[in-house]
Amino acid sequence: MGKNKMKVNKKYHLLIGGILSFLVLSLCLVSFFYTPYPPNEMNLSDKFISPGESGKYLLGTDHFGRDILSRIMYGSQSIVIVCLLAVAIGALVGSVLGGVSGIFKGRISSLIMRGIDGLMAFPGILLAMMMVVVVGKGKEGAIVAISIFMVPSFARLVYSLILDSESNLFIKAAKSYGITRRRLLVKHYLPIILPRLITLFTACLGAAIMIETSLSFLGLGVQPPNASWGMMLNEARQNFLQFPYLAIPSGIAISLSVLGFNLLGDGLNELFTKRRS
Amino acid sequence: MLNYIFKRIIHAAEVLFVVSLITFAVLLWIPGDVAQLILGSDATPEKLEALRISLGLDRAWYLQYWDWLKGLFRLDLGQSYLFGQNVTTLIAQRLPVTLSIAVFSMLIASVTAILLGSLAAIKKNTKTDYFVTGLMQLGSSVPSFWIGMLCIVFFGLKLKIFPITGYVPIEQGFIPYLNSIFLPSFVLAIGEIGMLLRTVRTSMLDSLRQDYMDMAKVKGLPKVTVYLKYALRSAMIAPINVMGIQFAKLVGGTVVIESVFSLPGLGRLILVAVEQRDIMLLQGLVIFITFLVILISLIVDIAVMFLNPRIRVQMEGE
Repeated sequence: MGKNKMKVNKKYHLLIGGILSFLVLSLCLVSFFYTPYPPNEMNLSDKFISPGESGKYLLGTDHFGRDILSRIMYGSQSIVIVCLLAVAIGALVGSVLGGVSGIFKGRISSLIMRGIDGLMAFPGILLAMMMVVVVGKGKEGAIVAISIFMVPSFARLVYSLILDSESNLFIKAAKSYGITRRRLLVKHYLPIILPRLITLFTACLGAAIMIETSLSFLGLGVQPPNASWGMMLNEARQNFLQFPYLAIPSGIAISLSVLGFNLLGDGLNELFTKRRS
Repeated sequence: MLNYIFKRIIHAAEVLFVVSLITFAVLLWIPGDVAQLILGSDATPEKLEALRISLGLDRAWYLQYWDWLKGLFRLDLGQSYLFGQNVTTLIAQRLPVTLSIAVFSMLIASVTAILLGSLAAIKKNTKTDYFVTGLMQLGSSVPSFWIGMLCIVFFGLKLKIFPITGYVPIEQGFIPYLNSIFLPSFVLAIGEIGMLLRTVRTSMLDSLRQDYMDMAKVKGLPKVTVYLKYALRSAMIAPINVMGIQFAKLVGGTVVIESVFSLPGLGRLILVAVEQRDIMLLQGLVIFITFLVILISLIVDIAVMFLNPRIRVQMEGE
């Protein structure tokens, strides 16, 4: 009975996570074609209109009279594009590094893994800020910063999976009849690694959104006048003591998308673990 | 056992070396001329050249790195061009703020996570369990800077319980000090509780399943004793490990929180260094904070070794 209940609970993770992630992705897609107002259009006669005060602006307007809903929609682009791209780059580089050190071993492996240990020792936001100084503020800086932060997790995962599975009989068998390295990787390692990679990828998206929004909150991410959720919160800081509604939509948007990807990651993890056992 | 400690220290030193190399290499790539940055755009080429030579920027990178490394051993992190002060002094001035918040929020997070995590484990698969784990899932998804802003409005402006911004040093009284750091620490803790709580719950579930738990119950010991003395004590090892990792994240997390609450800590200093591209300062801050993180995880690792009876007995047997 108890076990059944738990399964239901985990299914909710997958369901709710899936719905929230889908919502964020579709918000981003729609914003390419349609936003109620141009997101950067200022309308100083309409500034600080709170939600519901006039029928024109659903979520109200900010200190420049820009429509908050449109900016939220447009801001989802920077979240989705920056984070997807950054995690993808991090995953690719990390997996290759982990794979290389897992398969070749020896000096290359210990050199790579030392580097990974070193990278992992940095607090995330610190590493990100350091990269921003090198690459410069803006989307590119954020992508580089987040992707470097993601490298160690993927490298370690792939490395440890390869080491673990070496004791598997079918891999020993495959090696004993002289399988090529490439075939070994594609036929035997990939099916073990891929589900775990997908899970980690999803979970990392949540973390990536956190870093991206922190960076833009600190004014180091996407630069004005373009909108991003973290920056909208930062801009709201000057006026939110009088107009608290300014700080609500972007905060909720960030929380829900992080929650969505975290839950999706949990759900996927559960799904793949169940299948394996 | 000594052997293990020795190996662990060597590993920490290795990581620190790699960290210093990465930090130095990354900041070497910064586009633009440091001398130009310091003297401004109207400096003459001769002056620029003289400054470059006096800063040692004209030499090969490994010589510069070696000098910087030698400085590290003397606790000399160089001069901040922005403040015109020694980086070590600047760090020492601001460290109490950051450390206060980090320690205090770790305290809040640990106590909450241990209490709620044990509760969730004992009441496994009930509404209480779902409520607690759900709440924490939510807590770790909400960005700290947002909660910080909301807390400022609610506790600072509406209820007027806590000051909105600013830091009061402990010398000016313990209560004002506590008041000034409570809200930022609390906000920072919310994000950290989630992962810790999960670990507490899992390892508590694990120790609840052990045979000695049945034994303790059969003996008719009071419930509180059973849970506190038998279950929780053996369930604390994994969470303590996580706490070490969390503490490292916390020190990084203060960057954002200090900005929200306008606290004069290391985080603000980092932000200034990044915005003004004060490379010496940034280098010093990064290496200092990462050193702190490595040191803490080293201490935690060794502490766990002493706490865990299984490892301890095994090692004494050797």
